[in-house]
Amino acid sequence: MKTRRDFIRSAVLGASATWTLPGFIDRTFAELGDEARDRSTQFTTGKDGSILVVLQLAGGNDGLNTLVPFGNDEYYKARPKLAKKQKDLIRLSDGIGLNNSMPFLGSLFKEGRLGVVQGVGYPNPNRSHFVSTSIWETADTTNRANTGWLGRYFDNACEGVDPTVGMSFNKSTPESFGAMRNPGVSLSSPELYRWIHSGGNQAQAEEFFSELNQPGNDDEDGPTDGGSIDMPAGGKVGGLAGESNLDFLERVALDAQVSSKKILEVAAKHKTNVQYDGTPIARNLNLVSRMIAGGMATRVYYVSHGGFDTHNGQINSHDRLLGQLDSALKSFFADLKQQGNDKRVTLMTFSEFGRRVSENASAGTDHGKASCMFVAGGGVKGGLYGKYPSLTELSQGDLNHTVDFRSVYADLLGGWLKAPNIGKILGGEYKGIGMI
Amino acid sequence: MLPPAKGNWTKEEARHLLGRAGFGGSPDEIGRFHAMGREKAVDFLLNPEEPVEAHPKPEWADLKAAMADMAEMMMERREMMADTRGMSDEEAAKKRQEIQKEIQRESRRQGLEAQHWWFNRMLKSKAPLREKMTLFWHDHFATSIQKVKQPVLLMKQNELFRNHAFGNFRELTQQVVRDPAMMLYLDTQRSSKSMPNENFAREIMELFTLGEGNYTEEDVKQAARAFTGYQLNRLNGEVMQSARAWDDGEKTIFCETGPYNGKDVVSLIFKKDACAKFMVTKLWEFFAYEKPVDPAMEDLAATFRKNDYVLKPVLREIFLSSEFYGEEAMATMIKSPVQYLVQLIKELEMESAPLGFPIMGQTQLGQVLFMPPNVAGWDWGKAWINTNTLLTRYNLAGSLTKGSVGGMMGRGDGKLGKLAERRGMRGGSVGPDFPKIAPESRRNETEKLVDGLIGRFFCVPIPAKARDSFIAYADSKKGVSFTDKELGELCHLMLSTPYYQLC
Repeated sequence: MKTRRDFIRSAVLGASATWTLPGFIDRTFAELGDEARDRSTQFTTGKDGSILVVLQLAGGNDGLNTLVPFGNDEYYKARPKLAKKQKDLIRLSDGIGLNNSMPFLGSLFKEGRLGVVQGVGYPNPNRSHFVSTSIWETADTTNRANTGWLGRYFDNACEGVDPTVGMSFNKSTPESFGAMRNPGVSLSSPELYRWIHSGGNQAQAEEFFSELNQPGNDDEDGPTDGGSIDMPAGGKVGGLAGESNLDFLERVALDAQVSSKKILEVAAKHKTNVQYDGTPIARNLNLVSRMIAGGMATRVYYVSHGGFDTHNGQINSHDRLLGQLDSALKSFFADLKQQGNDKRVTLMTFSEFGRRVSENASAGTDHGKASCMFVAGGGVKGGLYGKYPSLTELSQGDLNHTVDFRSVYADLLGGWLKAPNIGKILGGEYKGIGMI
Repeated sequence: MLPPAKGNWTKEEARHLLGRAGFGGSPDEIGRFHAMGREKAVDFLLNPEEPVEAHPKPEWADLKAAMADMAEMMMERREMMADTRGMSDEEAAKKRQEIQKEIQRESRRQGLEAQHWWFNRMLKSKAPLREKMTLFWHDHFATSIQKVKQPVLLMKQNELFRNHAFGNFRELTQQVVRDPAMMLYLDTQRSSKSMPNENFAREIMELFTLGEGNYTEEDVKQAARAFTGYQLNRLNGEVMQSARAWDDGEKTIFCETGPYNGKDVVSLIFKKDACAKFMVTKLWEFFAYEKPVDPAMEDLAATFRKNDYVLKPVLREIFLSSEFYGEEAMATMIKSPVQYLVQLIKELEMESAPLGFPIMGQTQLGQVLFMPPNVAGWDWGKAWINTNTLLTRYNLAGSLTKGSVGGMMGRGDGKLGKLAERRGMRGGSVGPDFPKIAPESRRNETEKLVDGLIGRFFCVPIPAKARDSFIAYADSKKGVSFTDKELGELCHLMLSTPYYQLC
């Protein structure tokens, strides 16, 4: 039986090549092999593939004051202090208006490039930030999955194990990236996604480091028998079938090194002359645009905008947060247009839940259920989707959902990212809402 | 019985056992452990001299005191609520929120302190296997502070695990059924006669005792009825099965029929053959390697049954078996984040972790004590490692070897710093004890220096090429003098390798 190394050396690269390729490159080459021919997976070169940006509104965004049902008296009854007057809204349809802190999204809507999904949620909603975020990120309403919906997309639908297939600009890895094989990379800034030497003679230290973190140090030892390039190992762990833990570690070490170098290079090389605000969300979207400009092979980017847990004194803080979002998106889409990448990128917002219909006594709102989502960019057919939930038929004072969030995911996975096996990724068949 | 290990008890084997059954140690610790001989070393692990009470827990973690506090707090709250009479709705709501915030703040503070306390206990304990088994149970009967929200209950559960570290598995399971933290975590208290909640009944069979395929959906349904009526007394922290709320009808579980309660269900489960094998396999995978062969597990399961589910004889058999020291077991396991952090601090001869380092490390590496991701516990093995976590491991090691942790933690100006100052958690060493790691006298002979460090850090045989790299790097640093700074950089390079991730 051929060992993995033999396979790489002889069948793919020719006898002269040495085993110093990162895992994701060797899998790219493996794609050329016979075994790969029938595989229903996809690979992007970084220049042409469609890209999804997932933007989390953390804390539970108040859908009712974001997408306002101004035609409904119940709304004004429930929110004597917080309700938005019709004249303060950007009208989207009869009875529905957009919070006017978001003029850019309003103009996108008018141009037919913004999809607005009303009443999104899931059955038996949970009002805990922690649990509900987890449900959205894993797309598992029983909150038992150890992998996320995007991680399962990477595992099931993306060729190779290029770690940069997903990139998150968050402090920690989002649960949605959780994967058996390839959880993407998460970095708070490119400068930190690297080996930090911070001692004397950095260049030299890095040379030693790079030498030690590529396979080949153990060339004499026995090969791992029966290792197959194609099959991910079953069970709970990542890695390839038959791969020893040491081989696995060496492969990840090289992946880390190569991807880190690439990200730093791209971040340093691509600047923009579009003006971004100094807010964290603007900074992070700026990073995303630089990565896209640099031709990363990334299919999914993840960024987060926090502060939506508006229990008290909501009116100013909520409008400010939406304004920051709108302004950051305006810069981002202008930037993409300048790069000529605007057609390749679709952006989706989500939040773990909406808020109670009635305002509370501190001029804020408490944790609720259904809310709205925005989907903007390249592939979207603009317009309103779903049905605005009833403001009289409530469940414990909350809106009932009319659209399951997994059918929005299904649209994006199938229609936009062209994933072949959505049922496997979402753990069930969900019909899209026809937005793409 | 598994064939016992024969022949020489080598230093590598001693390191292996201390790493797996504990959290590794400095060369001195390993030396002392090795000197005991194989049997004595295993006895030392299974019969620790250090009493369970050796590491006093924070004051708030005393259940009685906490319950008294709780009663007082409720009273205070009532008084404060009374004060809100006459206020406007808005003012009253603000007041309520303030009280709520204060409670949350206190609970967060306690949670942080609990995490700190347990990590330090792992680091300092003279009963390493007891702590390792406590961690095993924490993963097995996973319960998270994020949902339970009352650190005192997690501490009580932690104590339960420690007291039953190598005790009787059935007895421990009985206790877990009545454990307040578990109950809040799995919503057992919401299970009523009219609407039995199948959550706990399912988890107990699938995750805790039998494994999938060893029970039917009907068993789960019937058992759920038996687990109704559990109630938590918030004044004394005890859980009772209330006769009134319990479904006292006949249930048929595993083909036996009776008016079972929760305790009866546990007894029925432990009559099933699958139970022993399920647990010994999990233990083997935790201590030795994944996917062991079946006959070996049957052997261990027989030992487990013969001893009426007492763990000690099983653990003893594992640690004395020749398979435990075989090729498949030695130096093949990926360290979990907690193992990685504790072991790193020990191997760098540090008496304690720099402030905030354990929590920061656990968060970034994906294993925070008292916060398993869900009821199935953590994913172990390869799941710990991806490009982010590997680079983070390298950089965490660098922050210790270069003594830059203080900088990373904002030098105590941040929230954590202030908190620690108040709680007196400050102090301890700031960096590695370099003179101890490599005395000045040894630093001039780079080969000896590097070999010494290889012996300290690695359980894997290091390929010649990597050793050459270490030596070349050390030579390039030699220059005028080899100070602690250069030594720190050499250590960091050595720790920034795939080899260091294994134990």
